[in-house]
Amino acid sequence: MDITAVDSAAVLGTSRLHKASAAAKVAAFTLVLATVVVTSDVLVLLSALALLVSLAVGMGLPLRRMLPLALYPAVFAAVFAFASAPSVLSAVLIIGKAVTAALGGVILMFATPYPQVFAIVQRLVPGIVGDALLMTYRSLFLLAEKLTNLTTAVKLRSGLAAGQPVRAFRATTRSLGGLLLYSLDLSQREYDVLRLRGYEGRLRVRAIPSADRAMDRAIVVGAAGLLAITIIVRTMPAAVGAYTWIFATLTILTLLVTAITRWRKS
Amino acid sequence: MSHIHIPDGVLPIWLWGTGWVVALIALTIASRVSEREAVRRKVPLLGVISALVLVAMSTEIVPIAYHVNLTVVAGAILGPWMSIISAFVVQVILALLGHGGVTVIGLNTIQTATEMILGWMFFRTLVRALGRPRVRWAAGVATVLTLVVTTTTLVGLVALAGAGPAAIRDTGALNPATLRFGNPLDGGVVNIGLFSGGHEHAEETDEADHEAEADHETEADHEAEADSSLSVTRFASVVYTLGPIGWLLEALITAGVLGYVARVRPSLVFEGGMSQTESPHYGDEHGGH
Repeated sequence: MDITAVDSAAVLGTSRLHKASAAAKVAAFTLVLATVVVTSDVLVLLSALALLVSLAVGMGLPLRRMLPLALYPAVFAAVFAFASAPSVLSAVLIIGKAVTAALGGVILMFATPYPQVFAIVQRLVPGIVGDALLMTYRSLFLLAEKLTNLTTAVKLRSGLAAGQPVRAFRATTRSLGGLLLYSLDLSQREYDVLRLRGYEGRLRVRAIPSADRAMDRAIVVGAAGLLAITIIVRTMPAAVGAYTWIFATLTILTLLVTAITRWRKS
Repeated sequence: MSHIHIPDGVLPIWLWGTGWVVALIALTIASRVSEREAVRRKVPLLGVISALVLVAMSTEIVPIAYHVNLTVVAGAILGPWMSIISAFVVQVILALLGHGGVTVIGLNTIQTATEMILGWMFFRTLVRALGRPRVRWAAGVATVLTLVVTTTTLVGLVALAGAGPAAIRDTGALNPATLRFGNPLDGGVVNIGLFSGGHEHAEETDEADHEAEADHETEADHEAEADSSLSVTRFASVVYTLGPIGWLLEALITAGVLGYVARVRPSLVFEGGMSQTESPHYGDEHGGH
């Protein structure tokens, strides 16, 4: 998980998706998630996936950095699918659902600064939980960097080698132990900062208003349309089930056209 | 097995919905208890320990689909109430980064919180029984015991999801016409009528279908039940085969980490993260909680 890449893409990005409001993006993500939950048709799922990739490509999001994150759950979903899916197609469906939902979440996080997403979550959960969310995300960058430095230091000082697993293991656990101690010191420092700033049980995040209302509407309407098609396919399979391939073909064509247009522009 | 790597839309709605309800109730109670005192100290502690768990989880061992969790370490430091909050925070961030489903955040919170709380409980009991010098053994055994229990709860979850008609209706490639879990492309894509949508074929075979349907449905129900139970057995055998490798790795790492910290800062391990002494800050004599 390259958290730094996610954060810099979300904060420094200038696409229209970045300008849309966090509330609209969270709403669209929820609708995509509902699509993933409702669908039982591989072609509809493929269409949703193609549309999400088209959105990422069209908005110029860093797809190369996003895809590993979106494909990561496929590894674990594959183990679950292998272990419990009754057929090959069900396994494909399980893995497809994992990747599609993950890509939806990754697009949201690559196009929205995390405090804006957590500000929405904060309204729904108790105060200490919302604050802990913000504090965790902040600490994540510090600890990830510290672990990298600690690992490098351990490698340099004790000489980790593939042929010495016991020594390597001891060094690794000491790095993690060192990281734990560093975490506690960091917690103490953050506590001092909170005291100094007069923290009284709530970190407030100001929601940034939308800079592109048309985009807000477009992503919510698009996601709602996708969910509507999914519900129709699921509830009226006899009438429309045989046409899902047309939808899948159209979305793949959309993806191709978007990719070519983007490639020509760049 | 700190959390289930099951994607969205695979588990039945009643199961993940119940998971959300239980997790939110536990979270509300835990928040109220935690907010009673020293909230200023708890928020940063929760933040860094949850971040530590997330950093540990980012190191995965792909061949066995396992990653280090440090949940027992987190449980030992946070204690039971803050563990519930930390579990939720970890799962929300993991889900937003595409690692684990959003719908299963509730179930995952329960699973992770159970692991942290059991880890804390077993570790404390074993330290008392074996003595402080054997902290590594206490940590290792506590981790294995915890993971055995939580792996079994995971198999129980899959069994709940995979058994019964409710699960079949809500799971995966459902055929709404027959309410059976089946191949969604079966007869749909192969027999495409580009303009008729396959209706002509459907009308021709309609009568014959009705006759065969009654017999076929009973047979298919039995098959679906057999498939479902077979899947749970297969899942359990895979998890219990690969699991012990992960348990051992996690136990060794937890023992190593807690053993190291017990040597350099014992109060942290034996009394928890809130035991740290603090000096009074001038000008804030009345501000502390």
